[in-house]
Amino acid sequence: MSYCVNCGVELDASAKNCPLCNTPVINPKEIKKDNVIPPFPKEKVQVEEIQRADFGWLVSMVCLATAVTCGVLNWLAFRQNLWSLAVIGACVTLWVMLVPAVIYPKLPIYLFILLDGAALTLYLYLIARMVESYEWLWGLGIPLVACSTFVAELFALAIRQFPRGILARGLYLITAIAILCVGYEIIIDLFRDVSVGLSWSAVVLTICVIIDIAIITTLSRRRLRNEVRRRLHF
Amino acid sequence: MPDHKEWYKLDLSAIVYPTLQRRDFSSTYRLSVLLKEEVDPDLLQQAVDVTLPRFPTYKAAIRKGLFWRYLEPNDRPGPFVTPDVKNPCQPMSFKANNRYLLRVYYYHNRISLEAHHSLGDGTGGMCVLMTMTAEYLRLLGHTEIQNGGFVLDVNEKPDPEELEDAYMRYANSKICPPRPGEKTYRIRGTKEPFYTLNIIDGIMSTSEVAAVSKRYQCSITEYFNAVLLYALLKKQAKDKRFHVKPVRIAMPVNLRRFFPSKTLRNFITMIYPGVDPRLGEYTFEEIVAQVHHYMRYYVNDKFLRADITTNARTQSHPLIRVVPLFLKDFVVRQFYTKVQDRNSSAGLTNMGALNVHESMRPYIERIDICMGQPFSSRTNCAIISFQDVLTVNFASSIVEADVERYFFRKLVKDGIHVKIESNREIPEI
Repeated sequence: MSYCVNCGVELDASAKNCPLCNTPVINPKEIKKDNVIPPFPKEKVQVEEIQRADFGWLVSMVCLATAVTCGVLNWLAFRQNLWSLAVIGACVTLWVMLVPAVIYPKLPIYLFILLDGAALTLYLYLIARMVESYEWLWGLGIPLVACSTFVAELFALAIRQFPRGILARGLYLITAIAILCVGYEIIIDLFRDVSVGLSWSAVVLTICVIIDIAIITTLSRRRLRNEVRRRLHF
Repeated sequence: MPDHKEWYKLDLSAIVYPTLQRRDFSSTYRLSVLLKEEVDPDLLQQAVDVTLPRFPTYKAAIRKGLFWRYLEPNDRPGPFVTPDVKNPCQPMSFKANNRYLLRVYYYHNRISLEAHHSLGDGTGGMCVLMTMTAEYLRLLGHTEIQNGGFVLDVNEKPDPEELEDAYMRYANSKICPPRPGEKTYRIRGTKEPFYTLNIIDGIMSTSEVAAVSKRYQCSITEYFNAVLLYALLKKQAKDKRFHVKPVRIAMPVNLRRFFPSKTLRNFITMIYPGVDPRLGEYTFEEIVAQVHHYMRYYVNDKFLRADITTNARTQSHPLIRVVPLFLKDFVVRQFYTKVQDRNSSAGLTNMGALNVHESMRPYIERIDICMGQPFSSRTNCAIISFQDVLTVNFASSIVEADVERYFFRKLVKDGIHVKIESNREIPEI
């Protein structure tokens, strides 16, 4: 049996340090400790994930039933145009947005955002097929979705990798809005075949830059940060 | 008529615990019994399956209503016996584990039961654990073990009194004293990552502790309270704070000692012994005297009845009852975080000497208790004794073990032999 020279307590035979003061246990008479059973197991456990497969199954069935029944109706009864493609596209988009996130919550968020972008693109393609016009899809629809997906990925990356305080999150959000607006205006200008330039997005950009500077100043000055926290606490 | 009720209202204390539920926090506690031989998991599972139907409020799931939560009998398979883990008392989701709010573990010769506080307090949980252990020992062939003490007969139907909300029977004081609301010293420490609970067990002789308490002319509970206050005062002094704050301990009192009840659900109330270092420096003897007189003054049926009446009146107020659950949750959580949690610097519970029938005693080596994860960054202390073995358990989610160190060093200084067991991961130097 070993005692801690600092605390005076007897230590468990498996202890290598005193749990109270971290002093190493050096007992020349008891060097081998491999066979001793420690008082607590070595394995850590994480909380069991809630089984949401039932909910995922329900959403899948509802989406599938809606898509199939609308498709059949379009094929047999209301045959004016391919209106069922809009419903089928909505069901697919809803399924992609809900089910993987519910059933596999541990997958990286970047993958979910990519999947959501792909689902939206597919939806736009089905609508283009329905109205039989593809020009807006290639010139406007897909670039807008790609731009939104890219900005969402950047926002997720910032939230995951950098400081997560409420002010920092606000900073990321405002910056994302600014980038998104500038991107949208450039894409719209390119689609309209007019010279690319910033007009309405410049106003948004200016406001966002002012807010960003205010947040960065608040974040960099501790006293100011504490004052904001104190006044806004709830 | 069905054997049991189809649902149970949460008792007065149990209403609060689910509202405090976070992704990284649940109000769970752990009770363990160390046997003199290795545990057979298959037989233990059989014992669990036989025992649990005897405790309908533990074989239950928690559900949300529009205004209150409630317990509903749970007939799903489980709970299943699993090997013990290093980080006990992990958050207990209401929807996981087949909706059971119980976990049963085994590790060599130890059987552990973890329960959510919404189901019942330590006394109720101990009845489940000891009945389960008695049943396990009987399955092992020790058929001479008799019921008695915390061991109930699994073949008899539950007494309705075991399932009642005993608070309501005794909440009839003419006055309602205000709740204490002064901010106290809070331990500042480095928060451990999620899924970590640091445990330090101090094992000592009950007779040695009783002799030391006698020397200070106080009870064992008062002595441990005083030692914890002493440790907290030392910690506050070490922190070198500009504003010194009062140091107070939140201590649950088992109301069954004062109000006869067989209930297996929550029947506790909190008292807050403490000292105020702003008044001057306290010697240990003065802390003991302060705690001793506080206990003598407050721990009696008059004050305790008034205390539970305050809580019961709040719950039964018509305006509060009609408020939807999500609003109640928000208000209660805010009140607990801003007021109740700041009202004490640490928690301490003493379950006292555990009594089982003498036919069962030879098979039990020791009994442990763990108060579970603290709501904020502090330490919780739980004490229990079985025959001449007394265990003091500290559970905390912070890296520093200063309070525990001051606590056990004081016991050693007072001449008590302490053996330490821990799950702490300390990097080798």
